[in-house]
Amino acid sequence: MTELAMELIDVKKSVGSKEIIKGISFSIKKGEVFGFIGPNGAGKTTTIRMMVGLMKISSGEIRICGKSIQSDYKEAAKQIGAIVENPELYPFMTGWQNLKHFARMNKDVTDERIREIASLVGLEKAIKEKVGRYSLGMRQRIGIAQALLHRPSVLILDEPTNGLDPAGIREMRQHIRLLAEKENVAVIISSHLLSEIELMCDRIGVIQNGQMVAVESVRGNESQAEEALLEVSLEAVPLDKARALLFAQHKVEADTDGAVLKFKSKKEDIPAMVQLLVQEQIDVYQISSSKATLEDKFFDLIGENTIV
Amino acid sequence: MFNLIRNEQMKLFIQKSTWIMFILLFGFVILTAAITKGFEKPAAYTKDNWRQELEKQNKGYEKNMKDPDLKDDPDYMQYQMQQIETNNYYLEHDIQPASYGAWHFVKDSVYSISILSLLTIIVAAGIVANEFRWGTIKLLLIRPISRAKILLSKYLSILIFALILLVFYLIASWIVGALFFGFDGLNPKEAMFVDGKLVYDSIVGQSMVDYAYKLVNLVMMTTFAFMISTVFRNSSLAIGIAIFLMMAGTSILMFVARFDWAKYILFANTDLTQYTTGTPIIKGMTLQFSIIVLLVYYAIFLVASWFAFTKRDVAGA
Repeated sequence: MTELAMELIDVKKSVGSKEIIKGISFSIKKGEVFGFIGPNGAGKTTTIRMMVGLMKISSGEIRICGKSIQSDYKEAAKQIGAIVENPELYPFMTGWQNLKHFARMNKDVTDERIREIASLVGLEKAIKEKVGRYSLGMRQRIGIAQALLHRPSVLILDEPTNGLDPAGIREMRQHIRLLAEKENVAVIISSHLLSEIELMCDRIGVIQNGQMVAVESVRGNESQAEEALLEVSLEAVPLDKARALLFAQHKVEADTDGAVLKFKSKKEDIPAMVQLLVQEQIDVYQISSSKATLEDKFFDLIGENTIV
Repeated sequence: MFNLIRNEQMKLFIQKSTWIMFILLFGFVILTAAITKGFEKPAAYTKDNWRQELEKQNKGYEKNMKDPDLKDDPDYMQYQMQQIETNNYYLEHDIQPASYGAWHFVKDSVYSISILSLLTIIVAAGIVANEFRWGTIKLLLIRPISRAKILLSKYLSILIFALILLVFYLIASWIVGALFFGFDGLNPKEAMFVDGKLVYDSIVGQSMVDYAYKLVNLVMMTTFAFMISTVFRNSSLAIGIAIFLMMAGTSILMFVARFDWAKYILFANTDLTQYTTGTPIIKGMTLQFSIIVLLVYYAIFLVASWFAFTKRDVAGA
């Protein structure tokens, strides 16, 4: 049985007369890691702030484990742990004091639990030090620790890889997969860098200009991969004739890039194309194909200039 | 709620700036005591000389009253008259007056109580605004606790802080007073004017009444700073406005006192002793009127804070 951990139903947000979130709907299952991708300013953080109740929803509904964040705030908030933007804790207090502070704001978080979480994120030694002296990576970890204290069903991490080195990102990826698989926590991760979170997500939603433009599955689903179009590069002489033939016989619209033709095609069609070209006395020097990556789809969706 | 207040107190007292406030306050008390001892040279009475001492003082007061420059100042003349009457009370009843001591110093320290207002305003101005500045407000407001409760815990924490500060101030004044002027017993008595009548009563009791009157202003200004800080999410602005109004409030009032609407100004009403000692700042004001005005201001401050804190979005920095 799959239960919904979080559900957004036609969520809209207007600030003044400007609509900044234009009707977002999606849902996340328990134990699923959902990537929330979009260029800066697309509305990721606004959407996340609405999910955790920091901002009001203009219209629509957000439900956490079936509880509305608007009308049943306390019950919904119990199920959420989050870092919104930077993991900002009290710099003048130690890690322990910070965790104790947030533990007191929930019921049933014992000192034992705080120790458990501190060791989970690998901060046992630094817990007695002031957070102001922590490195950025340690701050991310103490941020995750405060989000997990009360065993939430939904963990929301806004730009968690900001400022982390590759080793830190890998470590975080392992943590997040573990949480999702062992503790059945639904995790929502936002980022403007697809490559950094692609590997830890089950699904990725792309947001642009306040709208969800695509939701893609990252892992599994082999049949879908068979269907997918490949990027094909073909070097042949004469090039123009080859292009005309491919268009006439296979309805392929190819671009010329120097001495190379570039087009998209299904894998199963490629042998027939090569045969056709050879029969027509065209010299084929090389042909290569590559799977369109998620990144390419992402570029296609939102345009190349919008991501870094 | 208890846990929330505990959190606020923890955050307050872990910060070094809070401790520096207590150190500064203690230094201020010592300075005041040193100035009092050095410049005012409070009288010390012995069994043999107290009569001569009082008569000498009375001659001084009588001389002051003939000063042509001060003849037109009714408050000054009244003060001189009361001093003479007080001294005569001792002489007539053959009571040796208590020498200036720790409790006298505590009683006089009430005139410097604005230093407490100043420190409390600084804390009140930061308690909400700093959470925004640190970015921790985002972690605070995603807990399963209503925003109104979080705000209330912060407000109550300010009042608790003010109380701790006041108790510290009283104890510090008493200890410093005892060191500088000597220990004057647990409950010394004194002849003094209360509500325009001469009474022979406990200094301790009267000091507490004086402090209670001054607390009205402290609570009002603190609540005001708290409101500004919550509405504008900026502590410097709140400190600036609150301290400016506290300092300039009375001067502004003097400018506009001839208008009838001036009686609705907050500062015309914060000093409730105007109804016990002298004449009201503006004619026609009564104690009842002032209390109502104060309550209305207080309610406005709290409602504005509540509205700004619970209804507004916490948007990006």
